[in-house]
Amino acid sequence: MMILSEEAQTEVTRVAVLAGQILHQHGAESRLIEQTTQRLGLALGADSIELSVTPDAIVITSLYDGRCITTTRRCYDRGINMQMVCDVQRICVMAEKQLLHVKEVKKRLKRLVPYKHNRWLVVLMIGFSCGSFSHFFGGDTAVYWTTFVASSLAMILRQELAHRHHNPFVNFASAAFLATIITSLGVIYDIGENPKIAMAASVLLLVPGFPLINAVSDMLKGHINMGIARWVFATLLAISVSIGIVAAITVMGISGWMR
Amino acid sequence: MDNFLNVLSLFLIDAWFAWIPAVGFAMVFNVPRKMLIYCAIGGSFAHSFRFLLMHFGMPIEWSTFLASACMGFVGLYWSRKYLIPRPVFTVASVIPMIPGSFAFNAMIGLMEINTGGYSLELMQIVMENGLRTLFILTALSFGLALPSILIYRGRPIV
Repeated sequence: MMILSEEAQTEVTRVAVLAGQILHQHGAESRLIEQTTQRLGLALGADSIELSVTPDAIVITSLYDGRCITTTRRCYDRGINMQMVCDVQRICVMAEKQLLHVKEVKKRLKRLVPYKHNRWLVVLMIGFSCGSFSHFFGGDTAVYWTTFVASSLAMILRQELAHRHHNPFVNFASAAFLATIITSLGVIYDIGENPKIAMAASVLLLVPGFPLINAVSDMLKGHINMGIARWVFATLLAISVSIGIVAAITVMGISGWMR
Repeated sequence: MDNFLNVLSLFLIDAWFAWIPAVGFAMVFNVPRKMLIYCAIGGSFAHSFRFLLMHFGMPIEWSTFLASACMGFVGLYWSRKYLIPRPVFTVASVIPMIPGSFAFNAMIGLMEINTGGYSLELMQIVMENGLRTLFILTALSFGLALPSILIYRGRPIV
C-alpha cells in the first residue's frame, strides 16, 4: 500500500482528471471515461475515485485516508480521435501493472499529440465511401462518380471550415449545401439512370454516426444525461444538414429529395 | 445451385463495397493506422452478414441487431487481444449500417410540412422514416453493447 501525502494525493487527482479530460474531449463513451479515470486513480494509490461526467465538464474527487480532494475540468470538444483514446487506455493499463509512477504517467499524458490521417487520403476515402453508399442504393457507374465528386468536395469544405474553427452546425449545413448543389446538377443534366440516388448518397458523409451510437450506449449503461446531450447534439447536426439540403434544392429548383 | 451462386456473388459484392465506408469513416475518427485493417474486416463482415439475413426475409431492424451483436463479440476478442478499447473497432465497422438517409428523409419531410402545409403523405414519410431510424439505431447500439451488458456487467473489458 502506497502512502500519499496531501501534495501527492493532489498530484494523483490532477493526473487522473487529465486522463478523463483527454478521453472526454476526444469522444470516448462515458463508461470508458469513468472506468479509466477510476482505475488510473486507484493504480496511483488513491483509496477511491468518485467522478461525475457531465456533457461539458468532469468533476472528480479522490479519497485517501478520510481526506477528500475535488477538482473540476472543463472539456471542450476537440473532435473524435480514437488514437488518443487508445493511448490513454494504454497508459492506464501500464500504470495498473505498476510499470509507471505518477510523474511518468503525467509526462506521457502531457506528451500525447492527436494523430491525424493525411487529409487528402481522407478526402479520397470519403469520396469512395459515399460512392459505395450510392451502389447500395442501386445507382449505376455515372451516379457513382457524381457522388464521388460531390462528397469529396463537401469533405474538403468540411475540413477547411473545421480547420478554421467554424461552428459545427454552420460547417455541416454548408457542406450539405455544396454536395447537393453538385448532385442536383446531375439531376438537371440527367447523368446516369437515377441521378436522385447521388443526392441521397453524397450527404451521408455528414451523418453524425459516432455521437448517435455513443448516445444510445451511454443511455444503456446508465449515463442518461450524457446520452441525452449527445443525442440532441447529433439531432441538431442532422437538422442543419437537412437545412443545407433544402436550401440547395430550393435554389436549384429540384422537386423532392429521394422521391 | 444457380440461385446459390447468385446469392454468393451478391454477398461478395456487398462485402467488397462495405469495407470502403468502414475505413473511410475510421479515418475521419482517426483510428490508428495499424487498426484500420480490422475496421475493414469488421465493416465488410457486419454489412454482408446483414445483407444475407435480409435476403432470407428477416426485417432490417432484427438483422441489424444480429449483425452488430456479432460485431460486438468480434470486437471483444480483438480488444482483449490488442488491449485497445472496443469502440475503436466496432463503431467504424457498423458505420455502413447507420440509417443516414432515413434520418435525413424524416427531417426534410418535417421541413416540407412547415413550408408546404400538413398532408397525410408527408406525415407518413416523416413517421415511417423517423421510426425506422430510431429502431435501427437502437438495435445497432444495443447489439454492440451486448457483450458488456451480458458478460462483463460493469467490469472493464481491457
